[in-house]
Amino acid sequence: MTKPSLRPETLAEILPIMAEAMATQQPLAIVGANTKSAIGYAVADATLVQLDRWTGVLDYQPEELVLTARAGTPMAEINDLLETNHQMLAFEPPDPRPLFGGDHQGTLGGVLASNASGPRRLTAGAARDFLLGFEAASGRGERFRAGGKVVKNVTGYDLSKLMVGSFGTLALMDEVTLKTLPRPETAISLTFPAADFSAAQNMISAIFATPYEASAAAILPSDMAAKAGLSGDMQVVIRLEGFAVSVADRAEHLLKAFDQGEKRDETESRRLWQDIRDTHLLADEDADIWKISCAPSSGAEVIASLMAEMTAADKSCPYYADWAGGLIWMAAPQYTSAGGNFGDMMREVVAQHGGGFAMRVRTADTNQGLNPHVVPPFQPLDAGRLALHQRIKAAFDPIGILNPGRMHQGI
Amino acid sequence: MQMPEPDASVIARREAILTSLRKIVPAASVVDSEEGRRAYDADGLSAYRQLPLVVVLPETVQQVSDIMRYCHREGIKVVPRGSGTSLSGGALPLADAVLLAMGKFNRILDIDYANRCVVAQPGVTNLAITHAVEDEGFYYAPDPSSQIACSVGGNVAENSGGVHCLKYGLTTNNLLGVEMVTMEGEVVRLGGKHLDAGDYDLLGIMTGSEGLLGVITEVSLRILQKPATRRALLVGFDETATAAQAVGDIIAAGIIPAGMEMMDHLAINAAEDFVHAGYPRDAAALLIIELDGPEVEVDALIGRVDAIVNQAGASSIKISMTEEERMRFWAGRKAAFPAVGRISPDYLCMDGTIPRRALPDMMVRMATLSQKYGLRVANVFHAGDGNLHPLILFDANEPGELQRAEDFGADILRACVEMGGVLTGEHGVGVEKRDLMPIQFSEDDLKQQQRLKCAFDANHLLNPGKVFPQLHRCAELGRLHVHQGKMPFPDLPRF
Repeated sequence: MTKPSLRPETLAEILPIMAEAMATQQPLAIVGANTKSAIGYAVADATLVQLDRWTGVLDYQPEELVLTARAGTPMAEINDLLETNHQMLAFEPPDPRPLFGGDHQGTLGGVLASNASGPRRLTAGAARDFLLGFEAASGRGERFRAGGKVVKNVTGYDLSKLMVGSFGTLALMDEVTLKTLPRPETAISLTFPAADFSAAQNMISAIFATPYEASAAAILPSDMAAKAGLSGDMQVVIRLEGFAVSVADRAEHLLKAFDQGEKRDETESRRLWQDIRDTHLLADEDADIWKISCAPSSGAEVIASLMAEMTAADKSCPYYADWAGGLIWMAAPQYTSAGGNFGDMMREVVAQHGGGFAMRVRTADTNQGLNPHVVPPFQPLDAGRLALHQRIKAAFDPIGILNPGRMHQGI
Repeated sequence: MQMPEPDASVIARREAILTSLRKIVPAASVVDSEEGRRAYDADGLSAYRQLPLVVVLPETVQQVSDIMRYCHREGIKVVPRGSGTSLSGGALPLADAVLLAMGKFNRILDIDYANRCVVAQPGVTNLAITHAVEDEGFYYAPDPSSQIACSVGGNVAENSGGVHCLKYGLTTNNLLGVEMVTMEGEVVRLGGKHLDAGDYDLLGIMTGSEGLLGVITEVSLRILQKPATRRALLVGFDETATAAQAVGDIIAAGIIPAGMEMMDHLAINAAEDFVHAGYPRDAAALLIIELDGPEVEVDALIGRVDAIVNQAGASSIKISMTEEERMRFWAGRKAAFPAVGRISPDYLCMDGTIPRRALPDMMVRMATLSQKYGLRVANVFHAGDGNLHPLILFDANEPGELQRAEDFGADILRACVEMGGVLTGEHGVGVEKRDLMPIQFSEDDLKQQQRLKCAFDANHLLNPGKVFPQLHRCAELGRLHVHQGKMPFPDLPRF
């Protein structure tokens, strides 16, 4: 199915496209630079609408900690601008290239639509915490604005939260305003060996019970540690950021309080956390790539249950964890030893251990999205939340023209 | 303030409604005497009062669900209430609505240090969360000034802030999960001890929805390790513009203080008269800048900030050397509202946000408005994030003064929006700023927000008359002009 692709330049230009889509019930597949199309279902029989011409930073006031840009602005441009001004997007959006290929770092709108957040999400918040306001066209083909351009605002519903992570299924954001923060003066890492995941998680809990303010914490099993250039056993990786005098002091305290720690300098630290952030460590696996969000202290049990199943199936299943153990990245085969679906099992295990969700972010199945027997990429919703999702979708996109079915049936 | 016309048929059914509610909760938990209801007739916005139809005090989620299901079926409005400290009238009762008071939900359910999370019922106070975990060195960061009394459920409904939110965020940034009951009586869990939603961020939408989308029955809050050290600077300036410039300079230097508060001349002197905090009485503006973190970091940053404010032209600088001194610096700021209460029979507390660079213009505008209305205004600001709290001084016993004060306040909020800011930074819209919403939002913006409301509460039964100046019927909001073709999913309600 090759349909013409459209690349409107303005919000005004897309309104007639939407009106026609509503009239003809022709779904629109909305993308920015199309770097994350592997996430979710493909939108069937859709006209491709690319928003990569909605570019440009409209206003940036470093002292106000706000940046307003059009959603199609390349992340490379945003990152460069912020770096020049010693600022950052504190949620540390991943670079999609290692996991999804291509040479584009994605757009600001794509980062928001997928709530893409990196290691600092643990302590600083996710993309959803940094979108202050936006202007958009809803699936009704109407312009609307929500939020504001200041860092503190509770006027009206916080629709920014709803936009972030909605994968373009509710509205098309054009102008977006984000909160920026100063870039830390320096960042180093400490690595500590751990006997197993549980011990690693306990060590991280203990570190977060000190006032030494880690900004990120990951757990790398020995195979992943080796890939990341660290030798030996399972490694706990702790990042310390901030003013140099403070980072040095905190590092010293932590190295005293916890055994066998090693200090990693700024260059090595940056490389390590890029690998962790971008899922680079699993990128070459020929298997489905899963992201599991669970309570940090449940990580060990979740992994133990999954590993037992893998061993029984005589399969390997490389993984590592970020967010203090609460974000597990895993490369997993589709089917379990019992012939069941691995994704279903994964979700059961997470539900049994305190809840959370599992999202398939990349599949090795070339038939992706078309095989009804493949496990859903997004965690299926319980009845109460499904009803709310359907009604919210209908409130923004009643005919279902915006990425319908990308996340769930009809949504 | 025009509230929705009470439904006479509901009021006529009052006795039957009481009987039904007594089948859901123990009879003693249904408050129907006028005297009993009087205690609930207002929240922190005490200029507005209304006796509720009846007050119900549920104590289990099942009871909340049953009450909601019953009210939904019978078409009875519901107004949820936590501790009733809202400054915008979010919990103002309605004559034809059940007031759902959540005060009996007062237990902390789980303290989980491994996941740095506290699970609590919504009626627990904000400060009680910190009290429950401080022995282990943890605390709950959002600290609205009412934290001794306000409930965490109310904090979620209002997305409460506080003096530390520039660095630590508002409620929405410190909330991991909720359990809520919809208007239809469905119990829905959002989030938990894990991070992020993985689907639509309903938790984010619930936060700050001012009790219009659901009733919160449980919250999971993120707790943080207490910083090792806290120190503060008390800095006087001869001009407000210079103080505003200094705030920008500090942030431009890459420093995000834990708190950065500004007070104007009138507020400084009212506070000084009241608590004798050692504030510079002749200063036009005062900054309290608090830094927290490891001791070496705080000491180093105190030095940097000292240099920055000096450079910016500070007229006086004091640096706290002891914890007692730091507390004294704060004493005047924390007592600012009651201090202003001592110099005026009444005051209105406003809550707009502006881009910080607009502060000098705003001060000029406020002085002009103060003359125009013949009313004094004292200013305290969360300077770091541009959140203003002008206190308009008036005397409610003088005919027409309340109206003049309200008009003055509305003009200030208009100026906030005009200067690129917003109507409310942390107090919420409620009834107080409801009719000002069209200043900030177009008709289409407000309609889209109301469509979201319709997805949760299609009959406008939950806390109606708040936030939105005009209630549109959901069917009308959902109307769509499509030239041809059929609707997919014909069974789905459309808004």
